[in-house]
Amino acid sequence: MAAEAVIAAVDVMSIEQITASQVGMKAIGAGLAVGLTGIGTGVAEMGIGAAAVGAIAENKDFFGLGLLFTVIPETIVIFGLVVGLLLLFL
Amino acid sequence: MLKPKRMSRLLIAASRDQMAPVVAELYHHNLFHIEEYVDVGAEGYEGFKIGSPLSGASEKSADLIKIRAMTNAVSLSADDVDAGPSCSLELQIKIERELPLLEREVEELTVRRSKLDTRAKELEQKIAEITPFLDVPVDLNLYHGYKRFTTIAGYVSREIVLPVPCEMHFSKGKEKNFLVVVFSTEQRSEVEKALQEVGFQSVPVPDESGSPKGRIEFYKGEIAALNKEIEGISKQLENVRQKHASFLVACEELLKAEVEQTEAPLRFATTKQTFVAEGWVPTDQVTAVTNSLVHVTEGKIFVTALPTDLEHDSVPVEYNNPDFAKPTQVLMDVYSRPGYTEIDPTLMIAIVFPLFFGLIVGDVGYGLIFLAMSLGLRKFLKGEAGEQLLTVLRNASISTIFFGIIFSEFLGFAIPGWNPVLYSRHLMSEHGGHGPNIPELMVLSIWIGIAHLTLGRLLGMYNHAKQDHGHHRTLAVMANFGWLAVMWGIILAIWSCAAIPLMPSFTGLPVLAIVPGVGFGLNLATIIGGILILAGIIFIARENILEVIELPTIVSHVLSYARLVAVGLSGVAIAMVVNYMTFEMFINPALENFTLISIVLILIGLGIFLFGHLLNIALCILGGGLHSIRLHYVEFFTKFYKGGGKKYNPFGMKRRFTEE
Repeated sequence: MAAEAVIAAVDVMSIEQITASQVGMKAIGAGLAVGLTGIGTGVAEMGIGAAAVGAIAENKDFFGLGLLFTVIPETIVIFGLVVGLLLLFL
Repeated sequence: MLKPKRMSRLLIAASRDQMAPVVAELYHHNLFHIEEYVDVGAEGYEGFKIGSPLSGASEKSADLIKIRAMTNAVSLSADDVDAGPSCSLELQIKIERELPLLEREVEELTVRRSKLDTRAKELEQKIAEITPFLDVPVDLNLYHGYKRFTTIAGYVSREIVLPVPCEMHFSKGKEKNFLVVVFSTEQRSEVEKALQEVGFQSVPVPDESGSPKGRIEFYKGEIAALNKEIEGISKQLENVRQKHASFLVACEELLKAEVEQTEAPLRFATTKQTFVAEGWVPTDQVTAVTNSLVHVTEGKIFVTALPTDLEHDSVPVEYNNPDFAKPTQVLMDVYSRPGYTEIDPTLMIAIVFPLFFGLIVGDVGYGLIFLAMSLGLRKFLKGEAGEQLLTVLRNASISTIFFGIIFSEFLGFAIPGWNPVLYSRHLMSEHGGHGPNIPELMVLSIWIGIAHLTLGRLLGMYNHAKQDHGHHRTLAVMANFGWLAVMWGIILAIWSCAAIPLMPSFTGLPVLAIVPGVGFGLNLATIIGGILILAGIIFIARENILEVIELPTIVSHVLSYARLVAVGLSGVAIAMVVNYMTFEMFINPALENFTLISIVLILIGLGIFLFGHLLNIALCILGGGLHSIRLHYVEFFTKFYKGGGKKYNPFGMKRRFTEE
């Protein structure tokens, strides 16, 4: 049943529709890449950020290092952004 | 350059009567980093004791404390004062004549202010005591003055009927219920027992007379009067501050210099007749310092440069950078000051950081705004570190303008009549020209990463070759080489099986062997790459086998440089979205069909434009700055940099408000 339905659906899709849906899929993929990695970064930075603020409250000299440690997980979302950009523009 | 200043260990020995001129001369030079003498019976120091302060130390420090108390009282800080230097001699006379008067004035004012403060607090306390009785319709003087009756008041959880004859007022509150009871003193125990059951919390009965409301109003009026008086005193203190600001900061500086000098012997080793001071002086200044010490003591002194033992001495580190790289030192100090024997990468950051920043932001408009900020904020951000940061921002903004011209961007718009040089970052290509060259830009950023990391590893090899000894040195240098070999091996292997724009491709080389079972062809480049990877892993494992688990960082660190493009593009995207919303959604439709509503639409559009670009500017500073510095700290520094150097802190001060 399902296979027949898919075949029937493919039959009615024109070439333009297929390309359009591919573009849409790419956009969804890019969105997922950025969004999910953003969540990952957020989760990772949560603990670091809390600890860093605690350390800075104790001693202001930790500001630089604290900021640095906090942005280390940014790499994850950067990878997501790179993947998203490549999906959209490559 | 690339190395901290060379330091020499100087030993000064003289008779005790020369101590004062020697200390004054050292202070004047502001070059001698005192190595503090610790009385632990070190070799060659048997019989030495820690010195005692020069004469006048306690009076001077007492004066200094007074001055600091005064500057605190009028909340004055040296950074707020722009005054020229004043002559120390005149100042000395002025201190003796005027300081006691000024001190008395300030003290009187502060004592009066604190007395008034205390009085106001007492009155507030009284108001708090009366407040619960507001609901009871009885004058306050009815609560006391009885011989046979007792009055108690407090909070209870619910209403209660006491088992004794009494006069009671219960008022229901939101959270707590208030109860006042007057009963015969003989029945106290019964009342207390009954009250205990309803969780009675006692409240003191105020010793006042008149209606509660009237008393509260009376006290409020008194507090207002007190506050007015306090305000007047604060104004007077402000006047003192304005009138005497430059005198006070000059006094503080002068006295601080004197106290530091009189207390210097506490850091020297002394005997009954002589003293010995050890410390560090930049090598190129040794002769000058020695000569002036000999001159000031008329030759009654022994000064010699001791040999430095890099293994055991902790040599203080002073940067040695060309002027344009000096502001970047603040970024180094945030991480850690370089060690004495390692390479000081300040110069590299001074060049590469602005380039990275510019590459990320790359917009003429934003660059001009940053430039204006770095020049305009100088008035508000005082202090050395703030000025250094602003200079770094200035350099970054110049580089931003440069890359803005290359990318042809102005506040997210294309610069009219100017096409991007090399590669474009314009995300929308409706207005002619081609779309963004994302793959090329990505590969370019990867190239930057490869170059930066290779440089880092080479520096790591150099550092280990300089710092380590014997077998460990060979292992450490080879391990660094191993990391390089693995990185380049992976790159070669990728080039041999995939063609990437802007990178050499070895896919066309003849296949020499085929992996059985997979059908994967190996050409010369793949094989060389594989050998490099294997050899590299062996070198790394020989130094420390645990390091092998760090191998994936090679890939992630190189790819991390893709942020140079990715973060930049996200900034471009935000700017373009802001521009699109402003013009396509609000201003252009409004102008096409101009009515009264159009004005509102245009105003909304302008609001979006301002707010959006402000947000983007903040994000650009944060993104551009943090990501560029992070590429240095995390990716670059971990390859070679250890840091942990001791700050060179010479004995002396930079005088701002006084002359010697």
